[in-house]
Amino acid sequence: MNRRVSGLALAAFALVSLGACEFPTGRNSQEMGYRGVGMWNVSNTRIDAAKKKVNQLPPVIPAVAADTTNAGYVNVQVLGHLNKAEFLRSMTAITAWVAPKQGCLYCHYIDKSTGTINYASDSMYTKVVARRMIQMTAKVNSEYQGHVAKTGVACWTCHRGNAVPANIWFFTDKYQVLRHYLDRQDFRVQSQAALPNDAQNRSSIKQTEYAYGLMINMSTALGVNCTYCHNSRAWSSWEQSSPKRIVALRGIRMVRDLNTNYLVSLTGVWPANRLGPLHADAPKLQCATCHNGIYKPLYGQAMAKDYPFLYPAGMTPGADAPTGMASSTPAQSSTPVTPASAPVSPAVPAQAGASTTLSLR
Amino acid sequence: MAEYQNLFTRVQVRTTHEDWGVPNDDPSWRKATGIDTTSGLSYLLGKIGDYQIGPLHLGWTGICSLILGTLAINIMGFHFLAQVDYSPTQFIRQLPWLSLDPPAPAYGLRLAPLAQGGWWQIAGLFLTASILLWWVRVYNRARALKMGTQLAWAFASAIWLYLVLGFIRPVLLGSWSESVPFGIFSHLDWTAAFSIRYGNLFYNPFHMLSIAFLYGSAVLFAMHGATILSASRYGAEREIEQVTDRGTGAERSQLFWRWTMGFNATMESFHRWGWWFAVLTTLTGGIGILLTGTAVDNWYLWGQKHGMVPTYPAVWTPESLGTPDEQKGYYQEAPPEAFPGLDGKTNLQSKAGTKRYPMGTQAAVDGHSKANAAPTSATSAANGRKP
Repeated sequence: MNRRVSGLALAAFALVSLGACEFPTGRNSQEMGYRGVGMWNVSNTRIDAAKKKVNQLPPVIPAVAADTTNAGYVNVQVLGHLNKAEFLRSMTAITAWVAPKQGCLYCHYIDKSTGTINYASDSMYTKVVARRMIQMTAKVNSEYQGHVAKTGVACWTCHRGNAVPANIWFFTDKYQVLRHYLDRQDFRVQSQAALPNDAQNRSSIKQTEYAYGLMINMSTALGVNCTYCHNSRAWSSWEQSSPKRIVALRGIRMVRDLNTNYLVSLTGVWPANRLGPLHADAPKLQCATCHNGIYKPLYGQAMAKDYPFLYPAGMTPGADAPTGMASSTPAQSSTPVTPASAPVSPAVPAQAGASTTLSLR
Repeated sequence: MAEYQNLFTRVQVRTTHEDWGVPNDDPSWRKATGIDTTSGLSYLLGKIGDYQIGPLHLGWTGICSLILGTLAINIMGFHFLAQVDYSPTQFIRQLPWLSLDPPAPAYGLRLAPLAQGGWWQIAGLFLTASILLWWVRVYNRARALKMGTQLAWAFASAIWLYLVLGFIRPVLLGSWSESVPFGIFSHLDWTAAFSIRYGNLFYNPFHMLSIAFLYGSAVLFAMHGATILSASRYGAEREIEQVTDRGTGAERSQLFWRWTMGFNATMESFHRWGWWFAVLTTLTGGIGILLTGTAVDNWYLWGQKHGMVPTYPAVWTPESLGTPDEQKGYYQEAPPEAFPGLDGKTNLQSKAGTKRYPMGTQAAVDGHSKANAAPTSATSAANGRKP
């Protein structure tokens, strides 16, 4: 009798402890590399279904008829190439994607005493930030096609109807790995030669841990295994990697560029409540900001192609970037490898009043 | 009626222990601490082992070892507590993630400030002293009982691995930072990072040997335990008697192995198998760790050089993997001590640090092929020199 009771108790305990495991069905695995080398990507249909639910495109803003009217708006610094109808459609899109509840007045100044809206005024910090973000999006869609391809990105990719996107990051711990997305140049730690004297590699275990942390951050952000990009027997070997790896590396360099030249440069523009809680630093991007747990943001559904304002003047939305604008190696054309001593010059429009000079070291 | 069963023996014979069956003129086996604990008997302990408790011999080595060990554990524990701002709840919640880390590479082999790894050095010193004193105690107690010293030497093999990880190898490489942190997940993370940094430890032949001996130990232990238990109804667990006077238990178990694999170990030799497998696990493991970073910097490439690594047909075209120029990478910069634009040290300043860290020379800047690794102005920045 006693044995039966303890046996039942044991079985119950075993069942409860299984609660920490994933349910054994609904697992998908896909072999990516040569057979037998273990380059698998494993996914879970339930998790995938949950992700699918929250990673949908917003309703399309109807296209407008061609219009050659120049609106004659004042203080239009980056969207001057749009005609009046397209300009208004763009503003509608931004409102729907970024500030659907707050509306136009989230960025545009209203004189409360008279009730008149001054659309030209730059007195709202949100408008200055939005302008910089439009520039950033245009840069991504034109110069970083090596990462975003012709799919491109839109405000929605990160914002998803929130004024502040989820998955941004701030400084929290002085060793936090996410700063690779800001001021760390590279993260190679494995020697390129078998013997110490040939390798001349002084990387420490701590640095390795740092690189490891960044990789796990990417893995989580994209919802993929390590072997999505690497052959785990030799992480650094390009010959054995999948083509996804170079796309990811371009992505890291892109995020570093965007953080340095767009996000951090706005530090002086944001009010205190938008800055980091510990170090009052600017909000910054990471892989998850766009990817949201998916290997391609929004499963690669293209939405940017329908919105000319997401591209620089002279570029056809959703097409190859004109020669000279796009680069197959965007990392080379931009400046991801910032010399350590070079301060980042504020790239904010002068009237933004941003006098941030932030030394990257 | 009393029944005799093995695994958990139900019969506990209680008697006065006048004669302990050990002819020994050294009184220390009984009353070394001045406390006679021979009277302790535990029914519950008797369910899983011998029901008799004590006599416990501590001696000065045991006492010092316990004190130093307690100090070491307390330093780690209070460090963990401090990490969660002395919150008991958070201490329990976050215990697996809390860690006492060795000093940063910049400190080399020097003493670090307490909060920068100094506590790790002190805890490590105390723990090492505690372990070594315990070894002395194991050796002395075996001698006092006129036993062999196999236990002490097996323990020494484990200590060898411990010392290689925490002392010998860091000293050879000139930096305590190479050593293992004290913490539940942190030491596991260290293991993963160590293998990654040195190009995959699986290609280290001594790691292979160590794994073979480790798994072999488990197999041998399972074989031995199963054999003796299965034949104990014939008295097979009285192994030593059966070495010289082979009873039916020994005969049957040995015939079993000759039937199944044509060969059997003897009651005596099997214990040598077990002992050597266990000892060689940590002995070869220690050699493997010692060679890592000192003699070999990338075990995968080393294995490739020595024909150990199979190649597989390429699945992707080289073009799809980007240009060599894009693939080019730099060794990682030293971990920062402060955030950009914030107060704090911005570089590693010690002499030891300048000597060994930050790492990398211009020759170390390498990518897909060495030919492409033209030094740039960024290279010197990658070296982490102070601007």
